[in-house]
Amino acid sequence: MNDIEKNIREEAKRLLDENLVDLVIGYQEGTLPLQTAPVFISSGDEVDKLVFNSCCKQNLAIYVHAALKQHHQAQERVKPEDKKQKVVGVIARGCTSRSLVIHLQEQQYLREEIVVIGVPCSGYIDKNKLAEKTDGAEIVAGSVDGDTVTVETAKGTTKLKLDEVLAGNCLTCAYNNPVISDFSAGEIPARDCADEFAEVDEFAALSESERWDYFSREMNKCMRCFACRNICPSCYCASCFAEQSQPEWVGAGINPSDNQVFQVMRMFHMAGRCVDCGSCVEVCAEGIDLRKFLKKLDQDDQNLYGHKAGVKLDEPSPLASFRENDRETFIFEPE
Amino acid sequence: MEAKLIKKDALAEVVKRIAGQKLVYAPVKDGSRVNFKYLDQGESAFLDYGNSTNAPKNIFFPQTETMMRYTRTDKGNKLVSAQENIDEMVLFGVRPCDLRSFKLLDMVFDQEKYSDPYYVKRRQQTTIVAMACRQPPSSICFCTSVGGHPYLSDGADILISELDDNEFLVEFLSSKGESLAKLFGSLDDATDTSMARKNELSEASAAAIKSTIPATEIKPWLDENFDHPYWDTIHQSCLACGTCSYLCPTCHCFDIKDEVTGDDGLRLRTWDSCMYSIYSKETSGHNPRPGQKQRWRQRLMHKFKYFVDNFNAISCVGCGRCVANCPVNTDIRKVVSDIAKL
Repeated sequence: MNDIEKNIREEAKRLLDENLVDLVIGYQEGTLPLQTAPVFISSGDEVDKLVFNSCCKQNLAIYVHAALKQHHQAQERVKPEDKKQKVVGVIARGCTSRSLVIHLQEQQYLREEIVVIGVPCSGYIDKNKLAEKTDGAEIVAGSVDGDTVTVETAKGTTKLKLDEVLAGNCLTCAYNNPVISDFSAGEIPARDCADEFAEVDEFAALSESERWDYFSREMNKCMRCFACRNICPSCYCASCFAEQSQPEWVGAGINPSDNQVFQVMRMFHMAGRCVDCGSCVEVCAEGIDLRKFLKKLDQDDQNLYGHKAGVKLDEPSPLASFRENDRETFIFEPE
Repeated sequence: MEAKLIKKDALAEVVKRIAGQKLVYAPVKDGSRVNFKYLDQGESAFLDYGNSTNAPKNIFFPQTETMMRYTRTDKGNKLVSAQENIDEMVLFGVRPCDLRSFKLLDMVFDQEKYSDPYYVKRRQQTTIVAMACRQPPSSICFCTSVGGHPYLSDGADILISELDDNEFLVEFLSSKGESLAKLFGSLDDATDTSMARKNELSEASAAAIKSTIPATEIKPWLDENFDHPYWDTIHQSCLACGTCSYLCPTCHCFDIKDEVTGDDGLRLRTWDSCMYSIYSKETSGHNPRPGQKQRWRQRLMHKFKYFVDNFNAISCVGCGRCVANCPVNTDIRKVVSDIAKL
């Protein structure tokens, strides 16, 4: 158990024992090597399940949203004098906290309905990079010790540098400490990262046909399991356009154009709302590189509006607000 | 039934030779993943693989399939069957767990009373070449717990088993399989020694499967406990995505939808997943399975109770795809084991 785990367990126990929260959402040890799973704890006796390490991949904010939304719906039928508040505690690293900020800005729940147990994070291990390193061989055992990841496959044991297998979004993330928190389990210095948009610029420099080929190839892998949408904290619509039948925005079949339409429309809903947590890439069983396209929206958000999603509570998304000096050339003088 | 011996290099050539004559659906490497696909002209199969990310069920039960077309005319609707002309196909290199999944899918789609012409036609037109698992491809594999075996041949037309790093045993198990024999070229007959070697490896491979689940033991509990507090404990982290169902070789729920453009319409059958919020949702808006709890219960019950009640078989082949690929690490092995302890 590291210091951070010790701190979050103590804090979670205190919050639950003193009835300050009804639920703590965090990570627990997984059943497979180098994996963790989300855990929902409602009693102080269970806090020893909580872990925090470089194998904690999911952005837990979507579970906070789901828990509170469900509670709000249940409360709709309760008399005003009997209404109860539910408070959800969440283990939040930088990107999770940014998603919580987006939820607050979009008035999904109140600040007092969440308790943010902040954890410092230097990134999580990307399953796709790990698979590349082992050439697809199954990892039968693995451990992380400081900057070294040890993986064991049928072919033998390999030691890797943590940075070699960290997710792409983590390598360019300077939000290594949460942007909001009620409790801090520790702090680390912000990563000194290279240009976060280098990959986008590189892609943008390709010819149109090369970009189209890449996009089509990635979209063709999609089996429409919707894992990317369902893990995304910014994708919380009660009913998704992809499931509407009148009009039917997305065809039922898996023909390439329908895959493209689904992904393009989902991504555009992320403009100014994507915190680059990488969850949509991490959950994809087919290894689709969605981040390449989402990061372009992030870049536009920054270059056109000087905005970074979910960083400041009082700075809402450009598409949800208006300033007199907002750029409007794309309306009056399109390129 | 004939049994022959073939060298590794020659086997790769055999796949190419078959692909020159018939449509071949075989594993192909794409980065660090391996997936089944129809081989393009000159494309090689990747036979040195553990198992594919996606199950090969797509060959018999495509993710999207046109069932019929219709056109609105002044004289009413004109309906046209869209059953395609299916060419003869060869499914090459399928693992025994996936091979078993076809037996289970047959129970659903090819019954005496209800026979699905789309599925049955594809099935009839396909010759299945299975490849035994000399070693279990993954430590997650649990085929032996659910009625499978790493050297299972039931349902295969040809079974290929690796005898050593360079030699394979080819057993032609049916007349369909034998009709492919000439494409394997002239080969040496297998000897008693090679058959003995295969049996030895088969036992060793089965013994190497360390992951086991009490798959049959939980049936009585499932029979009695449709309402049990345990069902409140597994679904919380579930994202309600369809990864488990879509990668599963035995999941076979489908949806039927019409797509209409002007006067022309298509009736499509597509995969569905019990994990989805619109699964079993009725036109009124009511859904008998309103939440993820009920949907998870459905998934488990269908595999380990309903299918057993209907067909006397567990609808899981122990390939481990859902375990390896669940984005939130919900492990069906753990769920089944936990239930057995209740």
